[in-house]
Amino acid sequence: MDRRHFLGQSTAALGLLAGFSGQAKANLQKAEILVIGGGYGGATAAKYLRLFSNNTAKVTLIEPNASFVSCPLSNLVVGGSRSLADITSPYDNLSKRHGVKIIQDSVTGIDPDKKTVKLASGKTLSYDKVIVSPGVSLLMNSIEGLTQANKAGVTLQAWKAGAETVALHKQLAAIRDGGTYAISIPEAPYRCPPGPYERACQVASYFKQNKPKSKVLILDANQDVVSKGALFKKVWAEQYPGMVEYLPKHNVTAVDAKTKTIKFEIQDDIKADVLNLLPAMSAGEIAVKTGLANSNGRWVNVNFINFESTAQKDIHVLGDSIQVAYAMPKSGHMANQHAKVAAAAIVAELSGWEVNPSPVLTNTCYSFVNAKEVVHVASVHQYIAEEKTFKPVPGSGGVSPGPTTLEGVYAWGWAHNIWADTLG
Amino acid sequence: MRSIRMTSTLVAIPFFSLMTLCSTSYAQSNDATNLYHRGLAATCANCHGTDGKGVVDGGMPLINNLTSEQILSQLKAFKSGAREGTIMPQLAKGYSDEQLQIIANQLGKK
Repeated sequence: MDRRHFLGQSTAALGLLAGFSGQAKANLQKAEILVIGGGYGGATAAKYLRLFSNNTAKVTLIEPNASFVSCPLSNLVVGGSRSLADITSPYDNLSKRHGVKIIQDSVTGIDPDKKTVKLASGKTLSYDKVIVSPGVSLLMNSIEGLTQANKAGVTLQAWKAGAETVALHKQLAAIRDGGTYAISIPEAPYRCPPGPYERACQVASYFKQNKPKSKVLILDANQDVVSKGALFKKVWAEQYPGMVEYLPKHNVTAVDAKTKTIKFEIQDDIKADVLNLLPAMSAGEIAVKTGLANSNGRWVNVNFINFESTAQKDIHVLGDSIQVAYAMPKSGHMANQHAKVAAAAIVAELSGWEVNPSPVLTNTCYSFVNAKEVVHVASVHQYIAEEKTFKPVPGSGGVSPGPTTLEGVYAWGWAHNIWADTLG
Repeated sequence: MRSIRMTSTLVAIPFFSLMTLCSTSYAQSNDATNLYHRGLAATCANCHGTDGKGVVDGGMPLINNLTSEQILSQLKAFKSGAREGTIMPQLAKGYSDEQLQIIANQLGKK
């Protein structure tokens, strides 16, 4: 081998190395990353894509609402102890502090082949990576007559915090003392496992102070209380005796708006004054429409190492829309944690680095049993590479021994911090 | 003379290539490791703030001004049961000792 030939080969090899490194960095900086949905999952993903890329990744968040309204704690608004303003945060810090481009619009379609996203305004955006975090869709047709009852203003869900949350409180305020509020719960999985039971507590807390002859009926399609069961049952017995009635295995099939009657698969009809009927749920509409819901046509299977859809490359799905791993709740806290794993994985992939082989998730969920006292459930989920899934760590996690006002303070502390972590 | 120069060049070039390769991989793995560590510490951010900078007067116990050593000793105390609490004893038990060390290093006051 002569010297010139050797040098030529070496230089080419060095050039290749330098080129690879440079190319990877360029991939990260040039990539168009879109985030669909500004909830706990999407907003966190947008912020952490910027943080983890040291503010070099181009990130656009597409969200139809002008501000963020938290579902966690919204039951306090239903019960009337807090206002919608208390649980609302602006989006603008994501752009001002973190350089996220925000487009206030809705996504009407995703074309995974062309790698484009179509907006309601008619605009089309191209992507290299898209994060889809659209929450849940309420399957109104799963309860016969529910769509009509909603249109007639007889039934409400208030399962996406906002105007309906306030409207539901107004319905409670309008009924007579001695009236009945009924909440129905679909079979799990659904968004926020303890949410319906917390709501029953908040309505009971409101009745106890304002309409003490009134009743709260919990009509649960499940075999038993899905989350924090022993804690909720103790609270109903001790704080709201004779007021809260829990009826398991009550699967609602239909509602008659004219007579405010609820019909079940097995049991006799029940009438109520305020009907808060929660239908079955699925992944958010855009995820289903794009063909991502490959788990029973309802939820999105993802690769848990990076939250990429198993149906489409370069589409990552977060939060309530996914087919969850064992004991993984559909919660805002969990969506925020999904987002950080996905953001880190995308930054690593576009930088040419190995994706973190051992990500970790936590969940913390506080439930208010009245206006001040709170119980929690917490868990830690480690990624098990051999099984390609997250599993809760044996011996970790758990629930409160009972409701306390200290945990009420921590619950608000959690809220202020997660809102800042997601949006601030 | 010519032969000696060739030898030294032949030795020097692969050595330089190797060094470049190592430093490139090292830089990449260093950045990647840093990202893993940031990701792990971010599991705490929901309650204790992005990068451990919690909301002041928000209601959650703050770790803003703790050193890495202070954070690690508290995490270990929660994990062992030496320190009582509401959620932290339950969460600390979900992390390995190595992970707690990484979290403390990331979030401690620099």
